Amino acid sequence: MSKQKAITADLAIFGGPVTFDPPRSTGSLADPDVDKILRYSKIFHDRQWYTNNGPVNQMLEARLADWHGTARCVAFANAFLGISLAIRQLALPGRHEVVTPSHTYRRIGEIIASAGMIPRYCDIDPDTLAQSAETTRACINDDTALILGAHPTVNCCDADGLERLSAETGVPLFFDSVESVFETYNGRRVGTFGRAEAFSMHATKLINGFEGGYIVTDDEELADALKLARAFGISGVDQVDRLGINAKLNEIHAATAMASLDGLPALVERNRERYRAYDELLEGVDGLLLRRFDESEQTSFKNIVVKVCEDWPLSRDDTVAVLQAEGALARTYYSPALHMHENSFETRFGALPVAEAVSREYMLLPCGDQVSLDDVVNVVKLLRFVCGHGKEIRAGLVARSGAGTQTRRDPVRLRRRVTAGTAS
Amino acid sequence: MKRGPGDFACTGGSPAFSSAIPVGQLYFPDFEQYEAAIRGIVERRYYTSHGPLVRGLEARLAAYLGVANAVTVTNGTLGLYLTALALGLKGKIIMPSFTFIATAQAFLHAGIEPVFCDVDPVTHHMTPETAEAVLEDGVSAVCAVNLWGGTADVPGLEGWASSHGLPLLFDSAHAFGVERAEGMVGRFGAAEVFSFHATKVLSATEGGCICTDDDDLAERLRNVRDHYGVRRAMAVPLTVNFRVSEAQAAIALMSLDDFERRVANNRDIFEAYRSVLAAVPGVRIVEPNGVVRSNYQSVVLEISESEYGLTRDDLWAILDAEGVRARRYFKPGVHRCVPFDGMRPQQVEALPVTDRLCQTVLQLPIGAMLTAADAATIAGIIRDAHVHAEALHSRV
Repeated sequence: MSKQKAITADLAIFGGPVTFDPPRSTGSLADPDVDKILRYSKIFHDRQWYTNNGPVNQMLEARLADWHGTARCVAFANAFLGISLAIRQLALPGRHEVVTPSHTYRRIGEIIASAGMIPRYCDIDPDTLAQSAETTRACINDDTALILGAHPTVNCCDADGLERLSAETGVPLFFDSVESVFETYNGRRVGTFGRAEAFSMHATKLINGFEGGYIVTDDEELADALKLARAFGISGVDQVDRLGINAKLNEIHAATAMASLDGLPALVERNRERYRAYDELLEGVDGLLLRRFDESEQTSFKNIVVKVCEDWPLSRDDTVAVLQAEGALARTYYSPALHMHENSFETRFGALPVAEAVSREYMLLPCGDQVSLDDVVNVVKLLRFVCGHGKEIRAGLVARSGAGTQTRRDPVRLRRRVTAGTAS
Repeated sequence: MKRGPGDFACTGGSPAFSSAIPVGQLYFPDFEQYEAAIRGIVERRYYTSHGPLVRGLEARLAAYLGVANAVTVTNGTLGLYLTALALGLKGKIIMPSFTFIATAQAFLHAGIEPVFCDVDPVTHHMTPETAEAVLEDGVSAVCAVNLWGGTADVPGLEGWASSHGLPLLFDSAHAFGVERAEGMVGRFGAAEVFSFHATKVLSATEGGCICTDDDDLAERLRNVRDHYGVRRAMAVPLTVNFRVSEAQAAIALMSLDDFERRVANNRDIFEAYRSVLAAVPGVRIVEPNGVVRSNYQSVVLEISESEYGLTRDDLWAILDAEGVRARRYFKPGVHRCVPFDGMRPQQVEALPVTDRLCQTVLQLPIGAMLTAADAATIAGIIRDAHVHAEALHSRV
C-alpha cells in the first residue's frame, strides 16, 4: 500500500502512486496446494493416461457428483463447451429460443448461438438481481426450446419457481450455476435443480482446474449423451453413435481441480473473513450498499457486489475507473446488460427495464485469495477518500478528459443491433 | 517367434506382451520435469488466459515452422471449428472421408456441410481430381487432410483450389514437424491446423494450433478464440472459449525440447517394422507421402487378403490377443457415420477407394510405449501369421 491519499492529486488516475502493485482482481485465483496437484498427477503419469476420460477425470466426476448429490457428473474442457453441448441436447426439437436473463455472464449469448439457438433475454427481479419465474414466464412462447436459468453472483435465483414453471410449460430447465458451486437454495444443493446444472473450473472460480467445466444431473440418459458428445460420439472401438466434438478435460486440469476441491472448505473460510471485513468497513460508507449473502444457506462468500446508490458522489463507471487506476481491479457488474451488446448473431428481447437499471448500478470489488484483509481495509479507505472528495474528483475527471467523461447519471450507451444468426 | 499356429495367443499360446501396447504416441516429460513446470506455474499464479507460457509457445511454434502466426487452441478439432468461424465459411466444404471423424464434426458444428471426396489408393490422400469429381454448388472451401506423417499433393491442391477461388485449409493433425521440399508443413493453404493430443508426436495432453501467414486471418482467429491474446479487436461471428492453459503450454514446450529425439526414436521403430515387413507378401507399408522429412506419426499397413492369406480384421484380432492394440483407422468411413450418412445418402456408395481402405488399412504401435525391439517382435508376429495363415484363418 502506497501512502495514504491526502489530496485528489494523490489518486493514481491523476498521476499519483498506485495503491496496489500487483493489482488485486475480482477473480478467486486461489492457488491449489501444489503438492496435492503433483500427488494426483502421479496417478495419470504412472498409468501414462493423459486424457480421454483418464483415471483422475473419473475420480473428479465421481467426487463432484457426490459433492452436489447427483447421480452423474460429466467434465468438459471448459464450461462454454459443456453448456453449448447440453443446450443442443436439451432443447426441444424444432424450436429456436433459449430464455436466459439479460443480466448475467457476458458470453452466455455466444454459448447459446454456438449451439445453433437464439437467446431470448428476460428481465430480472430487482431484489434478487436474478430472473424470477415471472420474468421468465413473460418470455415463453411457441418457439421456446429451453429455459437457461442463471444464478447471480450473490445468492441464488428462485430455482424452485423456475422448476414449477418448467413443469407447467413443459419447457426443459437447465442452469448456468457457474457462480454457485458451494451454494444451497432452500437447503437443497445447487446442482440438483432442473434437468442439469453447469459449473466452471476456470482458474478464477472456486474450483481452479486451470480450465474446465462440468455438468451434474440425475438424468442418466442425458449424462450418457453428453459423455459421448464430448468425445466425438465414439462409444467403443470403431463405433460412432452420434455427432460429437472434442470437449474432453485433460488429466492435468482434472488433477488440479481435485487439489482445489481438497482446499475448498478453507478457501470459503478465508472468503468469509474477507466478506466480513468488507461488511464491517463499508457499514460507515454512505452511498455504497454491500449485497449480503444469505447466511441461512450454505454459501461461498466469494464475490463482493456493491450497489452504487444515488447519494454516492461519483458515477459507478467513474468509481470503477478510479479504483482500477489504483490497481484495485473493480469491475462493473454484468454491464451493459446482454441485450444492450452489439452482436453479429441474432438475439431477441422486449423491454427489460430492471436489467438496464441494475446494469448501471453495481460493481464488483476485489476479492479472492490474492486479496488480504489489509487489502480490504485499503480498498475501503480508497472508497472513503472518493466519498469525501467526490466533487474535486469529478472536476478532475472532467478536466482530464473533457466532455467525454461520464457525468453522474449518463445512461450507458445503448447499442442494439440484431442481425442474422450463425453457427447451426 | 511363433513357430506353429498353436503358439499364437488367439489359439491359446502365450501373449507376446504382458501389458497392452497402445497405438501411440504418448510421449510425456519425466515426472521431475513435469513437477518443475507445475511448481513454476503455481509460483507465478498465472494459470490460463494467454499467460507467459502460451505466449512463449506461440512464438516458438511460429519460429520453428517459419510461419507468421501460430494461434494455440484447446484442441485440434476446435482449431478447425475456430478456423471455419474466423473465415466466415458458409454452405459446404469439400474434404476427404478418409480422415478421423473430428474433421467433419468440426465443420458441421460451425454450420458447414461436408462434401466428401475420395482419395488416391496409393497415397491415401485427396487429390485435385478427387476434389473436382465432387465439386458442386454451394461449396465455399476445401479442407485437405495430411495423413500418417506425410502430406497431400500440396502444390496440386493449392493450384486447384485457387483456380476455383476456394480457400484451402489443411487438417495437419498428424503432421507437426513434417517437411516438404517447399518448406515445413504449417505454411500452406490459407491455414493449417495441428493437433497436440497425447497421441501425437508433439503433445500438450490436449491442444492444437492454427498456423497462417495471413495476419488478418490470424487476428480474426484470436478474436474468435477469446478476448485474451487479441492484438486488435475485430467484428467476428462469435467469441468463444477455445483457450489453452499454461499447463498445456508447459507440456507442449517440453515436447518441443524433446521433439528431435522423439522423431529419431520413431524412425528407429519404423525401420524395425520395415526391415521385417518389407518381405512379407500381402503387406504394404504406406510410406510418408510427399515429404523430405516425416515425424513418423503412424506405421500404416495395407493388407491384401489374397496375398497375405488373412484379412485385415483377422490380423487385427491376432495382434489384439498378443497385447498389440493396432487400430483400424478410419473404420467406419466418415461418410458412413451418423449424421453424415443421412445428410448425403447419395455419397454413401460413391467412395470406393475410401471404402476399400477402411477394410484393409491397419496402424501399428509407434511412439513412447515401445522399443524398436518390440516393433521387431510385432512385425515377426505379422510375418508368422502369414506363414500360418491357413490354420489361423479358421480360428480367429
